[in-house]
Amino acid sequence: MDSNKGIFGLFGSILRNFVLFLYALFVLFPLIWMVILSLKPDEHMVTTTFIFSPTLENFRAVFGQEGFLRSLWNNLVVSSLAVGLSLVVGVPAAYALGRYQFKGREEIAFTFLSFRFVPEILIIIPLYLIYQKLGLIESVSGLVWVYQLISLPLLIWILRGFFEDISPDIEGAAQLDGYSWWQVFFKILLPMVKPGIVAATLLGFILCWNSFTFALQLGGASMQTSTVSTTRFLASDTVHYGWVAAAALLSSLPGVILALLIQKHLVRGLSFGAVKG
Amino acid sequence: MASVELQGLTKYYNKRRALENLSLDIHDNEFLAVFGPAGAGKTTMLSLIAGIATPNSGTIKIGGREIGGLAPADRNVAMVFESYALYSQFNVYDNMAFPLRSPKFKLPEDKIKERVTHHAKVMRIDHLLERPIQALSNGQRQRTALGRALVRNPDLFLLDEPLSHLSANLRHSMRVELKEMRTQLGTTTIYATHDYREAMSLGDRVAMLNGGHLLQLASPDDVYFRPASIDVAKFFGDPEVNILDAKLKSSGGSKLSLHMLEENIPLPLPPDVVQVLNEKHTSKIQVGVRPPDVRIAREGDKQAFHATIYSFEPLGTRSILTLKAVDGSLVRALVDGHQTFEMDRRTQFRIDPHLLIIFDAESQRFLARSAEFSEEP
Amino acid sequence: MSTASPTQPRANLSASGKKYARQKALRPYLVLAPSFLLTIGILIPFFVAIFYSFTDLTLRSPEYEMVGFKNFVDTFTNPDFWHSVGVTVRYAFFATAVEMVLGMFIALLLNHESAFSRFLRLILIFPLMIAPVIGALIWLLITNPTVGILRVPLGWIGLGDFRWSADPDWALFSLVIIDVWIYTPFVVILVLAGLRSLPKAPYEAALIDGGSAWFVYKNLTLPMLAPVLLIALVFRMMTSLQEFGIIFATTKGGPGDRTLSVAVASYNEAFPYYNLSGAIPMLLFLWFMIYVVCFILIGFWRKAQKAASGAV
Repeated sequence: MDSNKGIFGLFGSILRNFVLFLYALFVLFPLIWMVILSLKPDEHMVTTTFIFSPTLENFRAVFGQEGFLRSLWNNLVVSSLAVGLSLVVGVPAAYALGRYQFKGREEIAFTFLSFRFVPEILIIIPLYLIYQKLGLIESVSGLVWVYQLISLPLLIWILRGFFEDISPDIEGAAQLDGYSWWQVFFKILLPMVKPGIVAATLLGFILCWNSFTFALQLGGASMQTSTVSTTRFLASDTVHYGWVAAAALLSSLPGVILALLIQKHLVRGLSFGAVKG
Repeated sequence: MASVELQGLTKYYNKRRALENLSLDIHDNEFLAVFGPAGAGKTTMLSLIAGIATPNSGTIKIGGREIGGLAPADRNVAMVFESYALYSQFNVYDNMAFPLRSPKFKLPEDKIKERVTHHAKVMRIDHLLERPIQALSNGQRQRTALGRALVRNPDLFLLDEPLSHLSANLRHSMRVELKEMRTQLGTTTIYATHDYREAMSLGDRVAMLNGGHLLQLASPDDVYFRPASIDVAKFFGDPEVNILDAKLKSSGGSKLSLHMLEENIPLPLPPDVVQVLNEKHTSKIQVGVRPPDVRIAREGDKQAFHATIYSFEPLGTRSILTLKAVDGSLVRALVDGHQTFEMDRRTQFRIDPHLLIIFDAESQRFLARSAEFSEEP
Repeated sequence: MSTASPTQPRANLSASGKKYARQKALRPYLVLAPSFLLTIGILIPFFVAIFYSFTDLTLRSPEYEMVGFKNFVDTFTNPDFWHSVGVTVRYAFFATAVEMVLGMFIALLLNHESAFSRFLRLILIFPLMIAPVIGALIWLLITNPTVGILRVPLGWIGLGDFRWSADPDWALFSLVIIDVWIYTPFVVILVLAGLRSLPKAPYEAALIDGGSAWFVYKNLTLPMLAPVLLIALVFRMMTSLQEFGIIFATTKGGPGDRTLSVAVASYNEAFPYYNLSGAIPMLLFLWFMIYVVCFILIGFWRKAQKAASGAV
């Protein structure tokens, strides 16, 4: 698919690359600056811009701060469990929505999507009260349950598309070969949607890891996730900008690394399966 | 025992009617060709028998036993899908072994190996057993699908247009192979196709379906020479049969002759045809003439119809000629390929009245065709 | 004579046939059951919230009384509420508009093979995969008056003391920039995928028939891209209308109430002040807005999909 924008020759090519270069600068520069700041010792913070002697003391300090390391761990646990639960529950749901014709199918599918329409704050307010009564405020299970609102619609819609792509004849063939419908599901269909499962799981994990609003209120003091605790670095009285940068960097790493892994299916994942990459 | 009885089968997909009140009996060991155009209901019929779809109404019996409540796995039926439906994550061996590893069979691995290699040899893909499915050609995939169906020794074989995605040469050689396999198989087989040649060549009987209805169930010869209706005649044969209006005129005593194409050339009808027409008291008829039965006549032949050449398609040994008759009707002829014809040239053709298929013009149904063949001079 | 029809589905089946058909029909519902149960549990708070909006509950004490529609009336007659709605709408509108236009533009430019475009396509992902809150933090870092890097180039053009989000007139602008930085890649990625899946044939025909670049763009590219564009639009509107983290981390709604979106305003009502009766009606209105907007857009999307596949 080549030019559909009327690029004229070399001049156009240079212009194009220049514009793209500007945009690349826009994208990268804040990230680069974050890395720089995280390596800058306190003494040089205000005095110089680029010239300084890099140091790891910011990272050391951040790890030393109460709770940051713990918050990274919390985030890992909560996000993994949340996505895990979504998988267990969502894969069969995606299978049903993707391979069966039944009354209310589109309505049910849309309902799962509409969970994303609800502002997170709206849920938090009553949920805070309910969790208080149930003692779920500073608990892993409390967050895992709320996070379903984030990862479940994503998983269901992405996997639904993958299930729909499988030819119906395959199921028929496997049944005729002597397998019951759930055996067909496990032995034939699941392996076929494996790439979708991987993509949806990783993307779901990233979204849970990056979630702020739910963790803010429902995590309480002891169940902070790294996303929340990073913001606290900026809120203290004596702000160590280097620490803020270091914490931000550490919090962002999983998202970035995982994203590189799922590049191929990113489009499908981001659009909830609406756009096939 | 694997006879198959379909009784009043009806199937709707949402509002669309795929099968309407289909009833038909298939004998044990019979090879039934189910013929019809796309959308006729062939795949639906096979799916219902296999159990991968459930009917809205009607019953299915295999070997006298009603199977409506059985899951596909319990029916001992094997099906080869038009799309082959091979498992893309397995290689050829595992595809063929898959049914034998199911809870229904649970064969030990050495027995599986025996059976798979045996049938792979029969299908001539034993050298491909380690190959992943993606690396196979269409023809090889088709054989793998067939092999997977064969390993199970089922009571009933269902084949859904197995040859339609193969190239023309391959289709022909596979047809011959299938015919050979047939005699070795000894299993009741239902074979769906939209190619009438496959139906004629392979089937013991042909069931013609269109729009979800059964139009005719008969031997291939009967469907070809004595089609139950004009629709059947049109579908079964290539190039398509010519359907012409005709008038009956008495030609002395109990003799009848046919006038068509608005020319005063009486075609005397054979006595057995006349007898049927008199019995049925039919007055309005239409006539079916198969293109191979339209012969170019010599100039001056008094019995020939006049026409100009409308189109000429040379196809090697044979050519398809479309002739424009005096009344404007287009008549297709299949002629010897060694002659050439120019467009708009005047010519003439004759039709042997013994080869005419007579239909009732109102009901569109078959009336008569002569059982005698005249000797051409 | 067949007795089955579209209205009377199952007739004349054997008993076991009927049973099998029924089993098969129930299966999808059974399989869906666990996900339902899980999410019903989460939806309960939603309905609880609706219930509480008719009471005068505060988080300070557990007792409350039913007050009918009083909370709603109070909220909808409060000019501050409508100011928040205005902030929310303006934020969502500007952010989304810029992202859609810029995203499409960049995607068109990126739709050429070169080492550079491959590289850019890769790093594009990064802003998107960072938590929006942290993205806001990073921008705070680079716009910071003491340690931020932007003060340097801004100083060159005489804007050295530009106060970004601390400046009442420019606070919303700063927030929109952050949103644009984070989410433009989302649009780029989607549009790029859409561009890649465009069929070649119509373009070749246009080349032969001789259409200008603009003509081709307007009559071929846009209609065929419409489904993808609408999906991107739906997701962006859905998210930016309820954006909380970015605003909260950067300005907390300030300075004053310049950037006080509905989400932030309701949070402020609910948690420091424990005033649920004020917070919940606001949020229900916000939810209603989002639902309607997305519902309409998805309707357009369905139509665009049909039209686009017909055009091929």
